[in-house]
Amino acid sequence: MSPVAYRMGVAALLAPGVLIAVFAFLLPLARLIGLSFSSPSGPFVAYAQLLGDDIYARVFANTFAIAGVVTVAALVIAFPVAFALTRLSRPWRGIVFACVLLPLWISVLVRTFSWMLLLERNGPINRLVVASGLSDQPLALLFNHTAVLIGMVHVLLPYAVLPIYAALVRIDPGLLRASQGLGASGLTTFLRVLLPLSLRGVATAATFTFLLSLGFFVTPALLGGPSSLTLSMLIDGFVSERLDWPLASAASVVLLMAALVVVVVAGRFVSVGAIAKVHQ
Amino acid sequence: MTGRLALNGFVALVAAFLVLPILAIVPVAFSAQSFIRLPPENWSLRWWGAFFNDASWRLTLLASLKVATLTTLTSVIAGTAAAFGIARSGPRGRALLTGLFLGPVMTPTIVLAVALYSMARATGLVGTATALVIAHTMLALPFVVLTVGVSLDGLDRRLLLAAAGLGAGSSRIFRTVTLPLIAPGVAGGAVFAFVTSFDEVVLSIFLAGPTVKTLPVRIWEEIRLEYTPVVAVGATLMLLLALSAAGATRLLSRK
Repeated sequence: MSPVAYRMGVAALLAPGVLIAVFAFLLPLARLIGLSFSSPSGPFVAYAQLLGDDIYARVFANTFAIAGVVTVAALVIAFPVAFALTRLSRPWRGIVFACVLLPLWISVLVRTFSWMLLLERNGPINRLVVASGLSDQPLALLFNHTAVLIGMVHVLLPYAVLPIYAALVRIDPGLLRASQGLGASGLTTFLRVLLPLSLRGVATAATFTFLLSLGFFVTPALLGGPSSLTLSMLIDGFVSERLDWPLASAASVVLLMAALVVVVVAGRFVSVGAIAKVHQ
Repeated sequence: MTGRLALNGFVALVAAFLVLPILAIVPVAFSAQSFIRLPPENWSLRWWGAFFNDASWRLTLLASLKVATLTTLTSVIAGTAAAFGIARSGPRGRALLTGLFLGPVMTPTIVLAVALYSMARATGLVGTATALVIAHTMLALPFVVLTVGVSLDGLDRRLLLAAAGLGAGSSRIFRTVTLPLIAPGVAGGAVFAFVTSFDEVVLSIFLAGPTVKTLPVRIWEEIRLEYTPVVAVGATLMLLLALSAAGATRLLSRK
């Protein structure tokens, strides 16, 4: 086959996928960026409105705070689970792995709806609280920050466990035995051996959870209250309720840029593309 | 050994935290009451009857199945071809194409949704199955490219050379050697594409319309207002499909 024919063959193979990526991903994003400068009163008005308003500033701060707390909580819970996965024997390892992987198959909507049923005013958790005498009235568990945090940690935990596990499983167990044999306490072994050697995995886990948290929509929209407004809910409100396209697009571009910064900064240390591999 | 016991106890708790809450929807779907109570006081199949006797719910299920099937077809064809194309590209082309295909995975979903919605409005595609299939294909494509790409990397080139040496033409080699060897990867990508589409909410909320509404969109609309256990039936159907898909991939990877 001539080199030209070979190249044309490769181009033909790539064409359908590239067309979809261009028409359903690149062009819509380009259009959105264009729309963000299309405010009738001037190209930068939407951005000025967005960045100059106290309410929006609180939504930005809230979005980052939720993403930060969810990331830290997910890492703290995920590390021991990932460590245990490297130690567990045959049947248990498979069972715990299944528990980590199975939720990834189930729609975020279904998982969030479950939490709505559990955290309801008359839901099982509240009935347990009242029956056990912890409180004489049902607690307000739903439509607040706590509900959002619980729901998001639940959805994002697998994304934290898997990269940490991948890093821990490569550590030579002899190193841990050596550290203990030399008299180091469990904490010293964790801080000076385990953590430094798995730092790349922890960083990857942090990147995944933070990146996904920033753009989370379904879970905060269903479990959150009026005070737990996030950037994604703000964007939805601009489009669906106010029909303000310049503002919606400008807010989307801000969110996109925040995600891009995370990808670029983290990309220097970890392979961000691996996020897609978590699903495999 | 108390440390080990504490660790195992913690892991058991986390495993329960990951899986058990998801099952909360199932008992609600079998409730006899007209309000939501977990666990229900009386059990019945009345809400399953209500779901399948209501043409509007049935239509959402059918729309979901149709969109997911078409998404699987388009993303498997485009994704498999692209994986072959990437494998035959130079290192710079590879990096560029991987970036292009992985872009949607790293973009916040709400941004993709609003961008596609504005595009669909401009082209008059809002509320059509076409818009949903295109959007879902864009989301599913990276996973198909990745799974098929992994099987292609694992392909033993000597088998292709042997087939060529024995006189097989390139199309025959593709049909009788390459395709059977990468089939599990393609099938895995197909299952994943189907589930990606069937589970998808955010893009669909913006792109669906009164005539084409998928099951997750209907569930989303209902639980934002007042809802009855019939929503739990819809959610349980989604759960069942996801579990069958997870089971199917397990069988595929075992071969």
